[in-house]
Amino acid sequence: MKNLRQIRALVISPALLARTLCTCPTFSLKNVTKSNFASTLGDLRRHISSADFVAVDLEMTGVTSAPWRESFEFDRYDVRYLKVKDSAEKFAVVQFGVCPFRWDPHKHSFVAHPHNFYIFPRQELPADGPSYEFLCQTTSIDFLARYQFDFNACIREGLSYLSRRQEDEALSRLKSAYDAMLIDSCPTTKEVKDIPLASMADILFSERMKIRFHEWRGGLLQERNEVSHFNGSLTDSEQQFETIFFKMRPALTLKGFTSHQLRLIQEVIRKHFKDLTYVRAYDENSILQKLIVFVDSEDDKIELMREVKNGLHKEAEKKIKAAVGFRQVIDIISEEKKLIVGHNCFLDLAHIYSKFFGPLPPTAEEFACHTHKFFPHVIDTKILLNADKVLQQLMKKTSTSLSSAFTLLCPEIASSKTSNSVCQPRVDVEVQVDDMRSSNWNSGAKHEAGYDAFMTGCVFAQACRHLGIDFESASPNENLAHNEKLQKYVNLVYLSWNSGDVINLSNGNVGAEFLNLNAYMKRFAKISYPNIVLIWGFPSKLKAIDIKECLCKVFGVSSVTSIYHLDETTVFVQFSKAELASDFLVLKERLESSNDPISVLHPFSKLFEGVNTHAAGYEIYKEICGSPISEVSFSEQAEAVGIKWKTRLLDSTRALEAKRHGQSGTEIERVSYGSKDTEKSEKIKRLILKTTTNQHGNACGLGDLLYGASDPPREEMMATNL
Amino acid sequence: MSRRRLLCTKVSARRTAAVDDSKRWKIKQVTKSNFTNDLLEEVNTHILNSDFIAVSLQNSGSYSAPWQRVLPFDTAETAYLKAKHAAERFQVLQFALCPFTLRASKLTAHPFNFHLFPRDELKIGMPSYSFSCQTSYLTSMARVGFDFNACIYDGISYLSRAQESAAKHQMGNLVLGAHAVQSLPASSIADALFSERIKSRVAHWRDACKDSNSRIEDPLVQSLRKLVLRSEEYGSRPCLDIDVCSERQVELVLEVLKDFSDDLVPLLILSKHGGTQAVRPVFVSSKDDKALFEDELKIQEEEQSKRIRGFREVIDLISASQKPVVAHNSINDFTFIHSKFFGPLPPSISDFKHSLRSFFPCIVDLNRLIKEVSPLKSLNIPAALSYLRSRFFAPIDVEIPDEGLSVELNEGKIHGHNVIRISQLFAKLCLVLKSGRSVLQADDGHKALSIEDYANIFYPCSSTSLENSGEEVSISSGYTRKLSCENLVFLWGFRHETPLGELKRLLSKGCVVVAFWKPGYSEAFLEEVGHGAINCEALREMVSDGLRAASYETYKNVLRNGIWDADLADSLEKALMLTGYSSSEVDLEPQAFEICWDDSTVINLDDL
Repeated sequence: MKNLRQIRALVISPALLARTLCTCPTFSLKNVTKSNFASTLGDLRRHISSADFVAVDLEMTGVTSAPWRESFEFDRYDVRYLKVKDSAEKFAVVQFGVCPFRWDPHKHSFVAHPHNFYIFPRQELPADGPSYEFLCQTTSIDFLARYQFDFNACIREGLSYLSRRQEDEALSRLKSAYDAMLIDSCPTTKEVKDIPLASMADILFSERMKIRFHEWRGGLLQERNEVSHFNGSLTDSEQQFETIFFKMRPALTLKGFTSHQLRLIQEVIRKHFKDLTYVRAYDENSILQKLIVFVDSEDDKIELMREVKNGLHKEAEKKIKAAVGFRQVIDIISEEKKLIVGHNCFLDLAHIYSKFFGPLPPTAEEFACHTHKFFPHVIDTKILLNADKVLQQLMKKTSTSLSSAFTLLCPEIASSKTSNSVCQPRVDVEVQVDDMRSSNWNSGAKHEAGYDAFMTGCVFAQACRHLGIDFESASPNENLAHNEKLQKYVNLVYLSWNSGDVINLSNGNVGAEFLNLNAYMKRFAKISYPNIVLIWGFPSKLKAIDIKECLCKVFGVSSVTSIYHLDETTVFVQFSKAELASDFLVLKERLESSNDPISVLHPFSKLFEGVNTHAAGYEIYKEICGSPISEVSFSEQAEAVGIKWKTRLLDSTRALEAKRHGQSGTEIERVSYGSKDTEKSEKIKRLILKTTTNQHGNACGLGDLLYGASDPPREEMMATNL
Repeated sequence: MSRRRLLCTKVSARRTAAVDDSKRWKIKQVTKSNFTNDLLEEVNTHILNSDFIAVSLQNSGSYSAPWQRVLPFDTAETAYLKAKHAAERFQVLQFALCPFTLRASKLTAHPFNFHLFPRDELKIGMPSYSFSCQTSYLTSMARVGFDFNACIYDGISYLSRAQESAAKHQMGNLVLGAHAVQSLPASSIADALFSERIKSRVAHWRDACKDSNSRIEDPLVQSLRKLVLRSEEYGSRPCLDIDVCSERQVELVLEVLKDFSDDLVPLLILSKHGGTQAVRPVFVSSKDDKALFEDELKIQEEEQSKRIRGFREVIDLISASQKPVVAHNSINDFTFIHSKFFGPLPPSISDFKHSLRSFFPCIVDLNRLIKEVSPLKSLNIPAALSYLRSRFFAPIDVEIPDEGLSVELNEGKIHGHNVIRISQLFAKLCLVLKSGRSVLQADDGHKALSIEDYANIFYPCSSTSLENSGEEVSISSGYTRKLSCENLVFLWGFRHETPLGELKRLLSKGCVVVAFWKPGYSEAFLEEVGHGAINCEALREMVSDGLRAASYETYKNVLRNGIWDADLADSLEKALMLTGYSSSEVDLEPQAFEICWDDSTVINLDDL
């Protein structure tokens, strides 16, 4: 096997030598910063335009802005979207990997062009709005540092960008400013207020300037009459003045004056010279100049001002275009409508949308719809690896993380040596960076966006081969995105890997059922959201087991399906029935509003110890996830969001509560209900009474007898091992 | 003309000299790799020998929107709330420290610059889960050559005092178990049973340890024995873990172990959520071994707490020295220092001052001193230096003793120079103020100036220094004018065509502050706007167009409730809604603060 490969390499090399300068496999991928962006863009445009697909990958400054925003199984898809949205809005993208792949029918291999863009959200345009700001998650920054990420290159040399929305706003701001400028083009109305000459120095300076300009103007007029060469004695004697022609008019550039001096000069010109005017304009190198220009008449002056303003406007427009920066790459990919390949790329897409298009829409469905307009074909390799039976077999239940998929599917590239791998029909990938080419290139670093994009592309190419897509026989014009064998997977992206929700970008549908897979059903127990209650702010010493015990005492042993700790003082409790969830909330509210001794003895008193235990249904979690605030602990967050109540009943029970409105409700014994509610209130009353007595009748556990500890019986105590 | 040019060259010559001066300054750069005990020792020596300590912080940002800066119309309270908000979100990336002595006009400085990064060294989610960066801040830092890689790769981490106590529990730490001093009160049968069981188990295990110490065994037998006895090894010594489930049981076990105190040293294993998880007696072979082991433990504990405290060690040294600390913008710097190295910031400025004073008894704010010589403007450090140079003769000779500082440590590094400039400026100001006052004693440099006059005044950028009591101060001269904040009204929602919209100085997009000179007018105006301005045609027109107005109290509520929108107008709107719902909260504070009026930043309606 090894020999065969070497021979192969030998056969290829003469052909390669003819066209390339270097065949060594150890050149680095293409790093792009401010300095080489312009020169790279042209090549990249060609590569993308001829590519079969483009693999992308992003490195960010963080993923979650608070521990309770991390992704987990209890995430409903809409909540998951809010978490992704929060992440994309708060964190910055610092590296963007783009790797176009093109099938080369002559070499029977793909040619990949890995690019690694350093980007940084530098504020290039002056704006009066909020300053640009982004969040860094300490662990993510440390993670990047472990993989030798170059923060200096990123911050000093990184490419900046404007989203389409930002560009539009900047242009319209410029337009309105320009319009306003045209309106008050008569310079007489404004700035008429005299600057008081504060000191003797100012007066002397003004006088000196007046003489200067007078001499210069005199020289000009004389020159007109006598046609003698005006060499400008001023030009020689002072570096501060230089005579040039500005828009076909003689002008004097002013250099090296302070802003205060310039103000005085303006004043002198305005007061004493009708045919001179002060102008700020850009020269051909886009450097702002201050000039004194000679004008023939008042009309000429107006004409000049108009020209100058046009020039300023053009310059400002040019600046906005330049500030678009890295977004040009995204625009190319979008315009070419290429198939985009990413690995578990929903968060990546959200970042791309919020950074380069505009603010993220409020729902996942709208997001899908908008994204689909910009990127009509997207493939998530994670979907591919998990959904296809053949590939699943290959992966043999190993992790579907990018690096393990790459090692398994593309062992030749991953380890630069041949192996009798599981993938018999192999796809070759040749890497080309500038003039260097290699067919066994592997000198990227893991978690470098450009290299990750390359790996994603390789995994995709190999997966396609396993799906039976034949690149050899495909006609060069055929669009890979329309290949029937891929149709099942195009535009499906994992919304959440943890809960297995998949979103179809082409129509916004969410669910796991598009991919007819048994594996999912096994992996994910069905979660019923109406059964869930969120409890927070309880004493941090309570563990899930304690809470479960509390709840089971009241609602029965099988009442609680699962408890999930969101953080130290927050849990999700999933009840076996939705009814129990609403009963719990009603009960909690009753207990809190009544101050009789029964509530103190109630088993929940442990859970409600202190006064900060809050509870509500699942919807409140969604509401809180939608808030832009991110406190570290959930309890602080709820407070910061402004939650003042302690218990929020579920919608269904709230309607019931509304009926009760006006009645006191504090004394449970005497509350009267409508005929329909009587049953329920009776039940709750029973629950309260039953459980309080229950606890006390049953207080002497085995643990107490044995060890005589003064603490109430606890689960751990039973478990004591001697 | 020639004279002028001469002057120019002179100035420029002096300027380059100044630049060279700062290039010559050598500042010890400290990162994770050279943050050793020796270095701490060195820092401590310099701190103890110094008269003053200058500090300067390099943060990752300072505000998210222009109105969130400390502005001239802020009272001490609102300025603190703004500084607090910034300190909680942004990160300290460098902490420069300069202990210095001042003898006549000679300043001897020992500057250090510490690179910091809040790395989670102990994997416990501390010191900070995340932090914000202000892009423009990072960009300008990059422009002057800030090395972000050095900071992130090699920055020193730290924990605040509050975090340290939390961390000790979270890490499941080992603590030397001290025997209960007094004997336990009469015990129940269950207690006795428990104690007996523990006693027999420990005795059995101890004997086995003694036994195996004396003879060489087959490894198989050894491991079997271990299995049976559930014995483990702690370092090279055998130990036994006894699980406990209450503090009562911990006491019982320790009581039992007292009888074995010659052979066993008890350790407590703390659980992650407070409390004790298990007791671990460690077997020592002799008295000497016991002493040795206890020493080992002590060293280990110190090492660990050093690892936990990290850079905070330096802060603790400054605090312990009780020396006066000099900062340029003390309210900003010390809100950062408090929140990163001591604990969460209290909600009110008086609590903050109280808390801070317990750590730093004397803080000198340079801004306050600058105001003393130049009452008109607030100046940044270079401007203040050049102002002093042009107006006063106060030469200061800066000397930085070169203590074998390796060249490569310093080459091309411009970090931390600010702290020397602060020291220099402070020295100059001392000299200038000294010559203008008679309260001086001649002999000793630093005692000469009555620092107490200036200490602990947190001085927001205008003359709002509301001494410690929160009473008004009387500083007014030139362009500034005193005003009660009751006379201020915030306006927004006007169309840009209206005369107000043409005002240049907007506080934030479409929001202005209007001051009424005569007391009572502001209330009348607010009422008028609130009732639709029936009495004034022009105003009604504007109200119909969406003009909104709010009092200073609303502004305070914005800050108290932390409504940090990008536009102040949005925040005010939300605060109005809040107070609308709970109007009882509004009038809690009838005390009127005075603030100072500065023409350059606030609009004067009289000009219209």
